[in-house]
Amino acid sequence: MSASNARRPWVGKSFATFVLLPFCVLMAFPFVWMLLTSLREQNTIFNGPIIPRSFTGSAYKEAWTSIEFPLHFWNSVWITSVTVIGVLVFATLSGYAFAKLEFPFRNTLFVLLLTTLMMPSTALIIPLYLELKSLGLLDSQVGLLVLYISGSAPFAMFLMRAFFQTLPDELIEAARVDGGSEFTIFRGVILPLTRPGIATVVIFQFLSTWNEFLIANTVLRNTDSLPLQPVLFTLMGQYSTNWPALTAGLTLSVVPVIVVYVRMQRQFVAGMMLGAVKN
Amino acid sequence: MATATYKASRTATVSSHKFGSPLRKSQRVAGYVFIGPTFVLFLGFVLWPILYTAYLSLTSWGGFGTPRFVNFDNYSRMLSDPIARRAMIITLVLTGVTTVLLTFIGLVTAVLVNAVWSKVGVLVRTILFIPGIVSFVVSAVLWRLIYDPNIGTLNRLLGAIGLDSLQHAWLADQKTVLPAIIVVTVWGGIGFNMLIYYAGLQSIDPNLYEAAAMDGANTVQQFRHITIPSLRVVTGLIVSLGLLNGFKAFDVIFVMTGGGPNHASEVLGTYLYSLAFGSTSGSIPQLGYASAFSVVTMVLCTLAVIAQLWLTRRADR
Repeated sequence: MSASNARRPWVGKSFATFVLLPFCVLMAFPFVWMLLTSLREQNTIFNGPIIPRSFTGSAYKEAWTSIEFPLHFWNSVWITSVTVIGVLVFATLSGYAFAKLEFPFRNTLFVLLLTTLMMPSTALIIPLYLELKSLGLLDSQVGLLVLYISGSAPFAMFLMRAFFQTLPDELIEAARVDGGSEFTIFRGVILPLTRPGIATVVIFQFLSTWNEFLIANTVLRNTDSLPLQPVLFTLMGQYSTNWPALTAGLTLSVVPVIVVYVRMQRQFVAGMMLGAVKN
Repeated sequence: MATATYKASRTATVSSHKFGSPLRKSQRVAGYVFIGPTFVLFLGFVLWPILYTAYLSLTSWGGFGTPRFVNFDNYSRMLSDPIARRAMIITLVLTGVTTVLLTFIGLVTAVLVNAVWSKVGVLVRTILFIPGIVSFVVSAVLWRLIYDPNIGTLNRLLGAIGLDSLQHAWLADQKTVLPAIIVVTVWGGIGFNMLIYYAGLQSIDPNLYEAAAMDGANTVQQFRHITIPSLRVVTGLIVSLGLLNGFKAFDVIFVMTGGGPNHASEVLGTYLYSLAFGSTSGSIPQLGYASAFSVVTMVLCTLAVIAQLWLTRRADR
């Protein structure tokens, strides 16, 4: 690319723009369509034009009230928050230990965690369901939280470990000479230096927990305790022809994700590069 | 992801030489206390389930009483069950096609994004990535509406441009259901791959291109001999993530088709789920047989990780 760029940069750039912009329109179309549909009158979905002539917010009102949207939204918010905090606490502690502390069997334990890192929840859903059942945690948000935190903590630990490894050992040794306990060093010296790492784990964890469907849909049966994703799934059956209400529900469920993504895009991309490419 | 783990394991072995030196007790205690909570949860809710499902796959069990040990019967049953065979083939086909498409389109878009003015690049990156951050449920419901045979947008658009003959019940036809699912999967995955490839492109030393240009290499040659080899590790990661995501596919298919019509989009994940949990008709859950599919899924995912380690290792040389 750069050979031609060196002489006539705008030719290549214009060509790339010319290809990318229509592609972006195509990629963004489903979301634009979702917004437009959520804002149109119910009676125009069958034969009205694709861009509606008049807009109304009534579908949002309907989605908000008739499916107890606030309740499920709140369920999602608090389940996600507790998971993020839990994963963060466990992952920073263990990530730091594996990166900077020395103790017997460290490598053995580490490899054990490592080998099972990629096991998908599809493959584990049967034993997890049975396990929660025998623990009496089926149909409880606590049970769901336990599964979320334990399923995500190892991967977050690997991410955090990579961040901790970039810190110089001398820093910790100096703090030890000053007489700090291992926990004070971790809490007071190390943790403040790993803000970017923490931001990455928070955003990853937020997205994956907010979007999780399989486990929530399987272990929770009581409708009131459901987070958003399983509710959106049942909504599809309930509102099979009320598309404005359905797309309004989808739109509302996506808002937090988009907000977090747009606001934290830089950390997100940076974290992904650390996790994926730099190594 | 898995690249990180690979590197991590290497550094772990290197640092093990330090174990010759005397360990400080406070560090030892702190080490165990710090990893304790994660490790206990891991043992209880990751390792134990893996072992338990492996055991269940050797039994016949409806969820009540004690599982009956049946040796490898579930696995041989899998070979003679036409739906299982079909699900296996569909899983492999979907995984293969989406992985190839995602790798290829991801690379092409990343190269283009890397070439445009930086402001356009930021805009394009933001837009392309959004399908990847919404949940699979949202994208599946959305696309189900787009594919709707009667009032779906796709058919209406085809009608509007005079291609009525192409209008279709996309998800109800055995011929079009898999391509329709592939479109949704690729749509959701491009942004992530583009971003990783883009990061990879950014980390290539520009001096390499300058030197090559001075030696008279044209753009295509530069791409073949500098860009592609430099991106080998990234490609390994993207391919293995594609394989992993394909092997564990569930959400999109479950929501869009439930594995239908007539098992034409049945994959390992949806089939094991319907065997274990799906029986609304009151049939007995087949937890043993379903667990055998869990084990197969785990083996496939492990192979994907091994494939990635192998690709990375070759690139290191």
